[in-house]
Amino acid sequence: MNAQPPAPPDPSPVAHLELKAALLLALLLLLLAGSVLYVMYARGVFEATQQLVLVADDSEGVTVGMDMTFSGFPIGRVRRIELAEDGAARIVIDVPKKDARWLRESSVFTLVRGLVGNVNIRAYSGVLGDPPLPDGAERRVLVGDATAEIPQLVAASRDLVRNLTALSNADSALTATLGNVQAASERLKGRHGALGVLLGNDEDARKLVAALDRTNALLARVDRLAARVDGVVAKADVQVFGPDGLMPETRAAIVQLNGTLADARNTLKQADRLLAEAQAVAANARVASADLGALRAEVESSLRKVDHLVGEINRKWPFARDTELKLR
Amino acid sequence: MISPPGALADIGHAVLRWFKGWWQIVHLGAQLLVLALSPSIYTRANRAAMARHIVVGTAPMLLWFTLLSSLISLVVIRIVVVTAASYGLSQYALQMVVRVLVLELIPLTAAVFVALRIGLPDGRELARMRSRGELDALRGRGLDPLAHEVLPRVIACAFAVLMLAAVAGVVTLVLAYFTVHGFTIGGLERYTRTVGQVFTPAVTLIFTAKTLLLALAVSLIPVASALYDLPRSRTRSSAELQALVRLFLVMLLIEAASLVGNYY
Repeated sequence: MNAQPPAPPDPSPVAHLELKAALLLALLLLLLAGSVLYVMYARGVFEATQQLVLVADDSEGVTVGMDMTFSGFPIGRVRRIELAEDGAARIVIDVPKKDARWLRESSVFTLVRGLVGNVNIRAYSGVLGDPPLPDGAERRVLVGDATAEIPQLVAASRDLVRNLTALSNADSALTATLGNVQAASERLKGRHGALGVLLGNDEDARKLVAALDRTNALLARVDRLAARVDGVVAKADVQVFGPDGLMPETRAAIVQLNGTLADARNTLKQADRLLAEAQAVAANARVASADLGALRAEVESSLRKVDHLVGEINRKWPFARDTELKLR
Repeated sequence: MISPPGALADIGHAVLRWFKGWWQIVHLGAQLLVLALSPSIYTRANRAAMARHIVVGTAPMLLWFTLLSSLISLVVIRIVVVTAASYGLSQYALQMVVRVLVLELIPLTAAVFVALRIGLPDGRELARMRSRGELDALRGRGLDPLAHEVLPRVIACAFAVLMLAAVAGVVTLVLAYFTVHGFTIGGLERYTRTVGQVFTPAVTLIFTAKTLLLALAVSLIPVASALYDLPRSRTRSSAELQALVRLFLVMLLIEAASLVGNYY
């Protein structure tokens, strides 16, 4: 039973054994190396990247390795999520250099949460002519969240309801106002109507009515007075503008005055002529006065001669006691 | 009747035997690792033996396993993509396919396949050689049976696991691409991005470690069961079946650990 022949050392010789084994080994190495390189490429190890930091209030749902899309194309991936000193979440994103041209200074970044909790980081570049986004740029991310609005909405609604409740309370201002309006409308329906509402009490309203009545009476008297004034005015008209009135006489007086003025004008003309003659007399008088000058010179010389003569007589006159020579 | 102290002693012995069994497996693994890392072991005869085990073990399986795993992958990919599309979540379908198939199912399938086709037959063969005294005869001729008979089988077995997992993984990635994007290369960039998102450094590390550990378990445990009189439970199952149970337990632990590492 135990005398079994030992198993042959090489039961089934294989042709080209070493070559096949080498091929298998090479295939395994190739697959492994290829897989490693492919995964490294897929992880972006061989890409030159630049950094972009997005700051968000809440990074919930953001995972390392997720994509940032631009127009639906992934152009960056989240490398790290960290908490900043001020409590904000910093999402560090690697953007390959070849895709960085889509990001500009004016680019806007959004973090959108879907209804099933999936999160998308999107970039929008409105003006592609702007300067490109520098490496390490830090931008605020806009959070667009359908569900994040709900708490705010609820809080706002609560405030609204509280205000409405306060408005509709029994002791609220609105209720008091409505009560006053009701009282006013009751008064409107009362005896004095809107006057009672405006003046507040019935007595004043009554006074106002009495004042109105007296005003009416006054107006009637004013009417009568006006009629009498009309009569007076008619009489005055007759006296002023009638045939024997003031106005015709005044007109006649003015006619007479005109005649008087014409006479005066004539008198003045005569006076003008007189003056002209007087001017001529004056001119003659001026000529005569020029002749007077010559005449005076002659008179003076004659006087000097007479004086000389008198002096001669005095010297020669024997009766004269005064012999001194007098010069005049 | 067994007295209570006797029962307690029995339990103690059982626990000791259990630990001893695992210790023997670990010890054998360490010995083989040291041998594999010593260059002097790779003599011409040993290299020929390794080459023969590798070619005879892996080559016939490679084609069949690739075809079978491709078929299963195709079905799974189709199901996942169609289901995800019906929920409007098709952008997540590809990630799920890569995770479920490449990361989880394919290494496990490859390990099971190799265990049944190579590991257990190798263990049976070694057990037969041991029972026939061939290993002792080798030892009598001054040759180390670990180096000349055990190590080539273990290395070939581990190689087969890695080979099948690598080929099936790559084929599945290609199939997933063509299933999702059709026969065009336009979606390659986006697909590459998705693959990059799945294979984060942590996931890649766990995936690599898991595949290596599975290969080690598949190649080592049946051989260890054959070489040592490992403790057996009182059931009447054969030593081979016991080795299989032990192997599946270890594989389950490795898989669970990897899942915990990946998703917690």
